[in-house]
Amino acid sequence: MSGLWEVLTEHLPEFSSGFFVTFRLVAISFVIAMVVGTLVAAMRVAPVRWLNVVGGVYVEFFRNIPLLVLLIIAFAGLRRAGVPINGWVAGIGSLGLYTASYIAEALRSGVFAVGRGQIDAALSLGLSYPRTLRRIVLPQAFRTVIPALASLIIAMIKNSAIVGASIVALPDLLKESRQVQAETFQTNEVFFWAAVGYLVLTLTATLAFRYFESRFQIRR
Amino acid sequence: MQDGHLVQLDSVRKSFGDNLVLDDIDLSIDRGAAIVVAGPSGSGKSTMLRCINGLESIESGTIRFDGRPVKSSGREIYGIRAQIGMVFQQFNLFPHMTVLQNITLAPLEVGDAGREPSERRARDLLERVGIPEKAGDYPADLSGGQQQRVAIARALAVEPKLMLFDEPTSALDPEMIREVLDVMRDLAREGMTMIVVTHEMGFAREVCDRIVFIDEGQIVEQGTPDEFFNHTQSERAKEFVDKIIHH
Repeated sequence: MSGLWEVLTEHLPEFSSGFFVTFRLVAISFVIAMVVGTLVAAMRVAPVRWLNVVGGVYVEFFRNIPLLVLLIIAFAGLRRAGVPINGWVAGIGSLGLYTASYIAEALRSGVFAVGRGQIDAALSLGLSYPRTLRRIVLPQAFRTVIPALASLIIAMIKNSAIVGASIVALPDLLKESRQVQAETFQTNEVFFWAAVGYLVLTLTATLAFRYFESRFQIRR
Repeated sequence: MQDGHLVQLDSVRKSFGDNLVLDDIDLSIDRGAAIVVAGPSGSGKSTMLRCINGLESIESGTIRFDGRPVKSSGREIYGIRAQIGMVFQQFNLFPHMTVLQNITLAPLEVGDAGREPSERRARDLLERVGIPEKAGDYPADLSGGQQQRVAIARALAVEPKLMLFDEPTSALDPEMIREVLDVMRDLAREGMTMIVVTHEMGFAREVCDRIVFIDEGQIVEQGTPDEFFNHTQSERAKEFVDKIIHH
């Protein structure tokens, strides 16, 4: 039996490889979630009926199906249908698109916090509606919902563990930790370090968003 | 070369639900004229302004700006709005942008001006409205009067042919009204065509060419300041003048 510290040092290659798999997974999913979430939010507030409908269907689909089910559909379902999808694409796609639906809703609420007068002012200057959305409405909506985005991103980082535990079986921090646990039977020690790994990511995200909040906060 | 009126409203009607806010409005405005639109609150003054630059749609009648029909939808409206500056009661500066960014937004996004000339022009405009030192500040750092002067500079940055003022001093503390009216007076003297919805009858008397009195969605009376204040025709306008002058 080795101690807490020895478990980490003896299995550092597994832990660090798992950590960086998780890091990559959440980093790419984050980008997808922000980009898709912004587009969907823009569709939902656009003055075009069919865009509203498409945006609404997106949100209701991805928000109302468990992430685990999405992962199974994306990986096993698509393979069964003859689409040669790999684990990374299935994992990142599911996690990113799932989180995007929540981000779209948070942003939409931020859009409603931007006053009608802001839109009037931008339109009166000759800006088109899409430009008004891009330059005036969405930047203010983002700044308003930074605290909500922080919660969603932290939830996304924790949800990433579902990807490792699922049929997709990416060798992420959770998966590697279970491997080490199976070899050493030191459950408490191993998952202590797994928890530390997730904490490093979530606390970094917390601090980053706290910085954004102080940096970009709108004083009205 | 360009004859005809800069703005022409013919039989314009508009309602919100059952409430008829503009009832058969005819109005023409010459180039270089400064018009004050007066009337009780809820009479349709602001709505009329918002129809002229297509922020509101009209139900029937026509509005022409510089000979072109104004329609609130379609691509043409963007080009028309870029030639009409508008100043709002609540300033509506963009809080996430500095003063300079507020002013250069439209020239950079709508016009084809480069960054450097746009910024130079923005600083000139700030000079003109008397706050050149505020270029790098955010709107929240400015007083109401300063914010409204920035809003005027922002509207002027696109070199509009027409300026619309929608109760520009109604949200200001009394001591700041003067500084905004001074800027507007200078603009009128320089020959800017402007339509001003205001309760500032001192400004109307002194600066404008014509006062248009609106009540219940109709133009009840219009004339020069002298005609309007000293030889008021209609009962409703008389009542209004009495109330506003003698209090």
